Amino acid sequence: MSSHEQADVAVIGGGPAGLAAAAEAKAAGASRVLLLERDDRVGGILNQQVHDGFGTKVFNEALTGPEYAAIYEDRVNEREVETWLKTHVINVTKDRLITVHSDKGLRTIEAGSVVLSMGCRERTRGAIGTAGTRPAGVFTAGAVQNYMNVRNLAVGRKVVILGSGDIGLIMARRLKLEGAEVVCVAEILPQPSGIGANLVRCLEDFDIPLYLSTTVVEIHGKSRVTGVTLAEVGPKMGEKKGTRRFIECDTLLLSVGLIPENELTNKIGIITNPVTTGAVVDDSFRTSVPGIFSCGNVLQVHDVVDYATMESEKAGTAAAIWATTGKLPDADIKVSAGAGLRYVLPATISGTDAVDFTMRSWREEHDQSVIFKSGGEEVRRLRMPHMEPAGMIRVRVGKGRFRRIVNNELTVEVGA
Amino acid sequence: MNSTVICIVCPVSCPCEVEWTKEGGVTKVENNQCKLAFEYVEGELFDPRRMLTTSVPVDGGNWPLVSVKSHVPIPKDQMLNAMKAIGDLRAKAPIKVGDVIMPDFIGSGADLVATRNVAVA
Ligand SMILES: Cc1cc2nc3c(=O)[nH]c(=O)nc-3n(C[C@H](O)[C@H](O)[C@H](O)COP(=O)(O)OP(=O)(O)OC[C@H]3O[C@@H](n4cnc5c(N)ncnc54)[C@H](O)[C@@H]3O)c2cc1C
Ligand code: SF4
Repeated sequence: MSSHEQADVAVIGGGPAGLAAAAEAKAAGASRVLLLERDDRVGGILNQQVHDGFGTKVFNEALTGPEYAAIYEDRVNEREVETWLKTHVINVTKDRLITVHSDKGLRTIEAGSVVLSMGCRERTRGAIGTAGTRPAGVFTAGAVQNYMNVRNLAVGRKVVILGSGDIGLIMARRLKLEGAEVVCVAEILPQPSGIGANLVRCLEDFDIPLYLSTTVVEIHGKSRVTGVTLAEVGPKMGEKKGTRRFIECDTLLLSVGLIPENELTNKIGIITNPVTTGAVVDDSFRTSVPGIFSCGNVLQVHDVVDYATMESEKAGTAAAIWATTGKLPDADIKVSAGAGLRYVLPATISGTDAVDFTMRSWREEHDQSVIFKSGGEEVRRLRMPHMEPAGMIRVRVGKGRFRRIVNNELTVEVGA
Repeated sequence: MNSTVICIVCPVSCPCEVEWTKEGGVTKVENNQCKLAFEYVEGELFDPRRMLTTSVPVDGGNWPLVSVKSHVPIPKDQMLNAMKAIGDLRAKAPIKVGDVIMPDFIGSGADLVATRNVAVA
C-alpha cells in the first residue's frame, strides 16, 4: 500500500525540538503540520532522562525530562498538529518530497517546508576501537538508561564506565542508587566531558572515582565481561608504559559522546559545518536548500533543552512563514568563529532582528569576554565569568547593534 | 566566609561565588545566571539536599515503569535509604503527572510523585 499526502510543514523527529517547531509552525499560520516520529511516543531522549534539571530557562523551575516533554506534547495536541508515530522517514529530496515507512507501508509527503529535528545518537564501541574479546556486558550508557528507565531491565552488579559524558555520569548515580557497585569512571581526556552539575551530584555525592587521562585498553571475559584493563595516556593519547591495571567488573558502560543524526541532511546534499557536523544555517534556521530548516540536537548538541526549544520555535515559525508566503529576510551578513571558539551559529544573519548566537569555547576560561567585531571594531561584548567546552554559550545581540556592521562580516571571539 | 558552590539545579552548572557566615547565613551570591541558585546554595551550605528521581514498576500500564521524583529535595545522606524505602513499591495505571505514588516516603515531608502519564494498557 502506498499513499501520497500534502502538508504545509513536515517536522522530522518528535523530540523536544520537533515538538516545539511543530507547535510554533501551527501558531504561525501553517494549516497542516505533520510531526513524524519513528518511535511509538514523542518526547525523544527526554523519555529516558528521568532526572531533574529541564526547564530552568523557560519555566524558571527544574522539571524532569518526561514532565518537560509532556508540556510540549499537550501543546502540540491542543494546536492540532498531526502526529504520526512509528513513522520512520527514510528519504527527503531537495524538492521536499518525503518518503516514510510505517506499519501503513510506504507513504510520500509533499511538504511546503521541512524541519529536520532528528536529534543525536550515541557513539558506540565500534567508534572507539577497544581491543580484546567481545563478551556480553558491554553497553552504551544510553542503551542501559533506556533499559532501566523505560523498559525495566537490569544490567550488571559491578560496573566500570568509560567516558565522562553526561549519560555515563547520570547512569553512574542511577546504578549506584539501584544497589550496583560503580567502580570508577575512566576518561581519556585530561578534563571531564560532562557538565559540572553531574560531576557533583553523580560522582562526588557517591564517592565514585573519576580517572582522567585514562582509558580501557582491554576487555576481558569469554561469554560475559570479567574485567577491564585500564591504562594512563600521555598528552598525545599514547599509552603510558607501566600504568596498566586490571579492574574486576561484570559490566562496561560506554559514554563516549553523541553524534547528530545527519544521514538525511547529508543525503539531501545540505551543506554542513565540519565542526558541529550539522547543517550550516542562517538566523531563520534555513539550511542551504530552500524550504529545509534544521534545529535541536541534529543541528548542534545542546546541553540545555530550553535552548533547543527556543531555537526550534524560531525554526518552526520560519518554516511556516516560508511555506505560506515564500519569503524570509535575506541573510547576507557572514558570521565566523574567531580566537578561542570552536564554532558559532548561525553562519549568516539578516540583521533585521535580534539574534541568539550559540557557540562553544575550545578551553576552560575564567573572567573572559565574548566579543563581536566587524571591520576590526567592537559591536558587542559580554563578560563571561566561566566558560568550558562542555557548556554551550548563548548570547543575544539586539538588532540595533547590527547597524555597526561593515562589509557584511561579523566575527565572534573570546578575549580579555 | 567565601566559598565556590557549583549550582546543580540545571546543566548550566553556574560556579557561584558565595559569601556566608554560620550565624547570618548566605549574604551574597555571584556568578549565578538565575535566582534558582539562592535556595540551592543556602541548602548546600547548611542542609544539603537532593532531588530523588527514579522509576517505579507499573501494573496494567502502557509503560512498564512510571518515572517519579521527590516533590521537594530530600536530605542528601538519605538517598540510599530512600531507595530502600521504595524498593518493593508498585503503582497501578492509570497515572497522571503529579499523582502521589507514596506520601511522605521517608518521613522528611517529601512525597513521591509521578513525572509521566501512564495509560491503562
Ligand atoms: C544524558 C543527557 C542528559 C541531559 N540532561 C539535561 C538536563 O538535565 N537539562 C536540560 O535542560 N537538558 C538536558 N539534556 C539535553 C536535552 O536532552 C536535549 O537538548 C534535547 O533532548 C534535544 O532534543 P532533540 O529534539 O533535538 O533530540 P531528541 O530528544 O534526540 O529527539 C529526536 C527525535 O527524532 C526521532 N528521529 C530521528 N530520526 C528520525 C527519522 N529518520 N524519522 C523519524 N523520527 C526520527 C527520534 O526517534 C527522536 O524521538 C540532556 C541530554 C543528555 C543526552
Ligand atoms: S543558577 Fe540557574 S542557570 Fe545557573 S545552574 Fe543554577 S539553575 Fe542553572
